Amino acid sequence: MKIALTGASGFVGTRLLEQWRLGGTHEAVPVVRSYGSLAVMARFELPWAVCDILDPAALAKAFQGCDAVVHAAIGDPAQIVGMAESVYRAAEAARVRRVVVLSSASVHGQAPPEGTDENTPLHERHAMVYNTAKVRAEAALRRLSATGSVEVVLLRPSVVYGPRSRWIADAARQLLDGSACLIGDGGAICNGIYVDNLVHAIERALTVPQASGEAFLVGDAEHVTWHDFYRTLADALGVSMETVRSIEPPVFRRPLKERVGDWTALPATQKLLPFVPGKWKRLTKLLLANWQEPPAENAWTLPAERPSCAVTEEMTLLQQCRWRLPIRKARALLGYAPPVSFAEGMRRSIGWLAFAGYPVIPR
Amino acid sequence: MLAGCGAVSRFFYAPALTALEASGLLRVEALADPSPASLAVLAASFPRARQTARLEDNALSGRLVIVASPPKFHAAAALHALANGAAVLCEKPMANSVAEAETMAAAARESGALLAVGLYKRFFPACEALKGLIEQQPLGPLRFFTIAEGGKFGWQAASDSFFRKSVTPGGVLLDIGVHVLDLLLWWLGEPDSLLYRDDAMGGQEANCHLDLRYADGVYGEVRLSRDWPTRNEYHFFFERGVVRYKVNEANHLEIHADGMPILSGTLHGMSPEPGRLQLGAPLRTNPQSFIEQLRNVAAAVHGRAPLRVPGEEGVRSLRLIERCYAERAGLLDMPWLTPAETAAAEKTASSNP
Repeated sequence: MKIALTGASGFVGTRLLEQWRLGGTHEAVPVVRSYGSLAVMARFELPWAVCDILDPAALAKAFQGCDAVVHAAIGDPAQIVGMAESVYRAAEAARVRRVVVLSSASVHGQAPPEGTDENTPLHERHAMVYNTAKVRAEAALRRLSATGSVEVVLLRPSVVYGPRSRWIADAARQLLDGSACLIGDGGAICNGIYVDNLVHAIERALTVPQASGEAFLVGDAEHVTWHDFYRTLADALGVSMETVRSIEPPVFRRPLKERVGDWTALPATQKLLPFVPGKWKRLTKLLLANWQEPPAENAWTLPAERPSCAVTEEMTLLQQCRWRLPIRKARALLGYAPPVSFAEGMRRSIGWLAFAGYPVIPR
Repeated sequence: MLAGCGAVSRFFYAPALTALEASGLLRVEALADPSPASLAVLAASFPRARQTARLEDNALSGRLVIVASPPKFHAAAALHALANGAAVLCEKPMANSVAEAETMAAAARESGALLAVGLYKRFFPACEALKGLIEQQPLGPLRFFTIAEGGKFGWQAASDSFFRKSVTPGGVLLDIGVHVLDLLLWWLGEPDSLLYRDDAMGGQEANCHLDLRYADGVYGEVRLSRDWPTRNEYHFFFERGVVRYKVNEANHLEIHADGMPILSGTLHGMSPEPGRLQLGAPLRTNPQSFIEQLRNVAAAVHGRAPLRVPGEEGVRSLRLIERCYAERAGLLDMPWLTPAETAAAEKTASSNP
């Protein structure tokens, strides 16, 4: 099959290209936004395309002659929605049969309530703008495919880990520099998926006829906690889990600039913005640029013995997840059967850490 | 004149030449690039410079030509300039192959014109200090070194020619490796033996590992990447201490002499008065080192100073790079690939040397 791949320079895209190229399964057309993004995929001789993914005409040219598109590009919230629409319109113009979209389990939030599955209605009241953008992107694709000719399959992975993954690299770095922390005892559920299992899900989504128009949660086969995830990495790096602090969930107050950014990214605001006088826009930008956030903490403290905890809002939410997202629909309808176990996925990820120069203890 | 108005000219040569113009040391007379858009960007910095599409459209005799076009055009541009009586400063890598580079060096010798190579990291005070530490041995002889350099590729490439093996024969080794190997040759001379592996599978390498051994027992490991952030540090283990140089921190070193606290700081010039410790001005920064390279070339053109990085030095580092590719010991171990993928990768790599 000839497949165009947006986001081909990302971590999932890099692994997809490796599998397709080395497995000889598909003819790949990687699509990226800048020439600099070719650096890693240039390990292979490939017929890549460089274009603006928000420009459907340019994208349609890149998609010409392709049977399918895998859309794995990432971006800011506005780009996430814009790219979904652009990819669909371009696929339609290029007469592509099917688009497989890497959405995210975060359309349900990072800590979804018990019972959440693909039938759970989505909403736009998420704490994280990324989640809301993914919800809007899915809605846009459903709206377009309702009347369009291109089939859409939505995949919703959660924590995708593997070689080059930020979850692996960040955790390793934090374990090594002493800034790793777990919320509570780390017993929350890590809804992880090893990148090769996601590639397997993509393969099924490309080919299974009845997948058209459906969304699928996809993950590893095992029940894994965040403590399991960190302990496996800590063992490989020779770091004691006793150095990983247990903390209460911190409260995050997002900066004013980010909150204004979220508000301006809303579709309703976007429609109104053209009517706002340029002078007002410039004044707002100036005010925001000069806005001083109140000091975050008291500077008059004793020198820290260890670096402060490296925990983001996203990680804080993920580490409060008590619901294992089900993959039964993917198993039943898609024929999804994750080929790589958690233990093997972590072994390969740790192999990559050694490749990338992290001090992994030889076994 | 500046031949080639792409990213390296925009971000390095334009600000350096602007500073040198302001000091009255030189004047940018002409710009050459086939792209009107690229010319226009540089013309904003040098409004009085003549704008031309081709180097051949200019009178070159007695001028200094800076060749900053893509590497595949270096040889032709430099040979033309040398044949027409110009001195040449050629951006790194000097050429796409040793054969091209040798032709350029030979042309310079025959014409008697100056040919310099833009390996400007030799002008970093930290790199000069490291040469002194290795040669004068205040911490004892060097035993071992490790080098990790590179990160996610961030250069604003203007086309994909930089990533096409048919156009640019090497990846990260030819790109950032040319500086690293030039410095190693400058500090330590030719290695006795080497073991080189990379991850190219029919294209250019994004990661490479090079182990080097020298006649005096010194050995070292070089790890380069344009895939993933490395530590970007050089560590030198001497008999009585360790020295760390952080990539591109031109006037900064960290020195840990045995039994002493770690000394970390900016390098300063010494006061000329012997026996008295008085800090002079901080030594050159990274941009100032780039400017110093141009000053050295300008001084050498006028016969006021020896040229510090002549064409023959550019040939040396390219020769070592070609040796690495020729003696490639196989693919890097990529433990996340399945056995079948590894077999396919090895087959692809060996059929595309």
